[in-house]
Amino acid sequence: MLAATAGLTVSSSGCLRQVRNIVRTDDIQQLSVTITTVPADADRQAIRIARHLEETLTAVGVDVSLDLRSDIEFRRAVLYDHEFEICIGHHPGGTDPDFLYEALYSRYIDESGWQNPFGFTDRTIDDHLVAQRTAEGDARRKAVTAMLEAIATEQPFVPLCVPEEHRIVRTDRFDGWDEGHLATRHGYLGLEPAAGVDTLRLAHLDGRLTENCNPIATDYRGRGTITDLLYDSLATKNGDGPVEPWLAESWEWDGRAVDVTLRDGCEFHDGTPVTADDVEFTYRFLQDTSLGNHDTPSPAPRYRGQVDAVESVESRTDHRVELEVETSPAVGARALLVPILPAHHWRDRAVDVVGPGGPSVAQGTTEAVATNNIPPIGSGPFQFGERTEGAQLILERFDDHFTRRPGVDLPAPTVDECRIDIHPSGDTAAQVVANGDADATSLPLGAADIDGVETPTGVSMRDASSWTFYCLGFNTRDAPFSNYRFRRLLAQLVDKEWLVDEVFHGHARPIATPVTDDWVPESLEWRGNDPETPFLGSEGEVDVDAAKAAFEAAGFRYDDHGRLRVRQ
Amino acid sequence: MLAEVLIQLVVVVGILLPISLALFVGRERLVRTRSEWRTRLKTAAPTIAVLLVVLLINRFARQRAPRLSREIGFHLTASFYNIEGEFILLFQSIATPETTAYFSSIYVYGYVFLIVFPVLAYFTLPDTRMFRRLLTAYALNYVIGLVLYIFVIAYGPRNVMPHEVAETMLFENKPQVQYLTREVNSNTNVFPSLHTSLSATVATFAAITRSTFPKWFPVAVALAASVAISTMFLGIHWGIDVVAGMLLAALCVVLSDRLVGRWSVSELLGDRLEQFEDRIPWQE
Repeated sequence: MLAATAGLTVSSSGCLRQVRNIVRTDDIQQLSVTITTVPADADRQAIRIARHLEETLTAVGVDVSLDLRSDIEFRRAVLYDHEFEICIGHHPGGTDPDFLYEALYSRYIDESGWQNPFGFTDRTIDDHLVAQRTAEGDARRKAVTAMLEAIATEQPFVPLCVPEEHRIVRTDRFDGWDEGHLATRHGYLGLEPAAGVDTLRLAHLDGRLTENCNPIATDYRGRGTITDLLYDSLATKNGDGPVEPWLAESWEWDGRAVDVTLRDGCEFHDGTPVTADDVEFTYRFLQDTSLGNHDTPSPAPRYRGQVDAVESVESRTDHRVELEVETSPAVGARALLVPILPAHHWRDRAVDVVGPGGPSVAQGTTEAVATNNIPPIGSGPFQFGERTEGAQLILERFDDHFTRRPGVDLPAPTVDECRIDIHPSGDTAAQVVANGDADATSLPLGAADIDGVETPTGVSMRDASSWTFYCLGFNTRDAPFSNYRFRRLLAQLVDKEWLVDEVFHGHARPIATPVTDDWVPESLEWRGNDPETPFLGSEGEVDVDAAKAAFEAAGFRYDDHGRLRVRQ
Repeated sequence: MLAEVLIQLVVVVGILLPISLALFVGRERLVRTRSEWRTRLKTAAPTIAVLLVVLLINRFARQRAPRLSREIGFHLTASFYNIEGEFILLFQSIATPETTAYFSSIYVYGYVFLIVFPVLAYFTLPDTRMFRRLLTAYALNYVIGLVLYIFVIAYGPRNVMPHEVAETMLFENKPQVQYLTREVNSNTNVFPSLHTSLSATVATFAAITRSTFPKWFPVAVALAASVAISTMFLGIHWGIDVVAGMLLAALCVVLSDRLVGRWSVSELLGDRLEQFEDRIPWQE
């Protein structure tokens, strides 16, 4: 009843405003913005950043409200439906700056997924994004620098900080934790179990994994680490290491064409062979999950930037496939990292789905995007065993996986079973590892938990390189977020240094540009403050007068009550 | 972890119950119940059945409800936060390690004891009406609460201001309790506070029956007030949820009076059983 009344009030006030606007065309309201983020249960830092921004914005005369959505709903609102104004979230980022092409390329504004959720369109940036994709060697480094500087000027989103990754592992049950990055498949392969150990028990936090194992469902995927254990890709990448052969035995570049040779005799978990046709199908399918049924392609909401680089794909023989990319080999090789899907399972998923409850994609929602894909059938080192929704997922070793063949020098599954239990919070997950009821926390510890974690004998904390980042995203489709001056001002209202100290307890590093260290140009290095958009204040406290003056200098106005007035 | 938490809960409540029965109910009533329990159970059987069905529906629905809720629910976290802001942080001013320990125990153990004890206490009364009213009120609390949970999607204060409530937050101090709470609830089910409504229901019944159980009345009121405060103190509920919980309790108590004994099945059966009881020579 209350809700219905609230809804009524909202709709009628919107209507009234429109009427008023017709009558008095010069009427400009106080700026009101909604900050969309996830609750503390899902991400304790995101909500604290949101409240810091809320406080600052309120101080400078903006009417702010917070919109809290569950992990799944946050992704649906921001990535699929683009129903947000400002969002605060954890971006998966990338070890190669080319992920920014996916994040900002203007042609993707109407698509769903991590491809341009900000609705950003800028011709100069587009040119930079494309240029770094084709340039090679030193020329690419220069192109990347130019791109990063242009992006920093525009602030389509505000990169805040890169959180550290610490995990708790049991060294008395497994050895070799340092070989693989635990955010990738490599972290869980090649481990050396102690005598009598045949199960790898992971303490996980994110229950979405037990509801949905679809590698292209962005609303359910974090970094896709576990689905990468179920699905193989042609190539693999261990953390920030190089792109190396995986399901492909080898490949050879000839200009922009790459001739990929698959390993002999690989099978999917249902016993059907993995062929070049499956590879060809995968790339076509990810580019258009409707397989030509729609007038316009309906691209998958994940891996967009990677598969978009592929111009043509053709299977030559049963285990040879040729891809032509429109980028440099260095960028094009990233296309080899997408999961190879069995054509006989996914071809039927090109059909449209209707009805509520699922995600919706503007180009047409296909079964491929909506399916929970349980049981998942891939060709990866582990296969689906069983699951209990919200509580547990059990994977079994896929005995026929190529990594187990003699002569293949790649990390293989060393345990019969990988049991993933969902725990309610980061501290409980760390606790069960310390107690001996689990072997590792599969997700990084929360910033607030790192300092208090116990590491008795046989337990150790492992640090890993990190490239994900927190960001403040704008929906640049709408005013005033379409105005770069406004975006830059908002960037200046966030004290990244203070956030890192206070909210992340120092377990993060503030950034001015969202790429890994070796790509950061000198002009965008962090020097105690943001080189491009320095905070207007100190110690997390905004200097209200300075901020208001900056808004006025940017062409905005304040009324007599100190409220920021912006045409929306 | 879940088993550990459950065992602790059962042990604590298991110790409190017999002590309370001795203190508040008295030997005499217990002895009489020993001889009359069959007939009382028969009289109350329909009500017990209704409550059990409601609890069963509730159990399954709370697993499924979040999805339905996602489709038809209203997001009200922002509204609650806009209306009351940081009101619940007022309770942080009484935060000490002792009060935190007290309210944490109240929220988990005190609450369960508070809603279980009256079921036993009222069962010891020869007239089962109060017993049936209590069970009916419980059932109503759950049914109405569940419907509201489906329509209202809201996160509690701990999800909005985790840092401000960190010191007293239940799950920070007793993280293992989360294994229990996640079994019974989802984090978007905060409006209304069923902890408050069920406790207030018990307190109201304690007021109605204060001439029968004079010593229980002040204890129930103190416990119920503690539970209501604990939900805010621990950062789990908004003030609005607690107010809504109290209103829900009032509604359920009133409705239980109107509903119990209304339908002939139970009434007829009850009457006949009473007549039947009267003829039994070995009864008082």
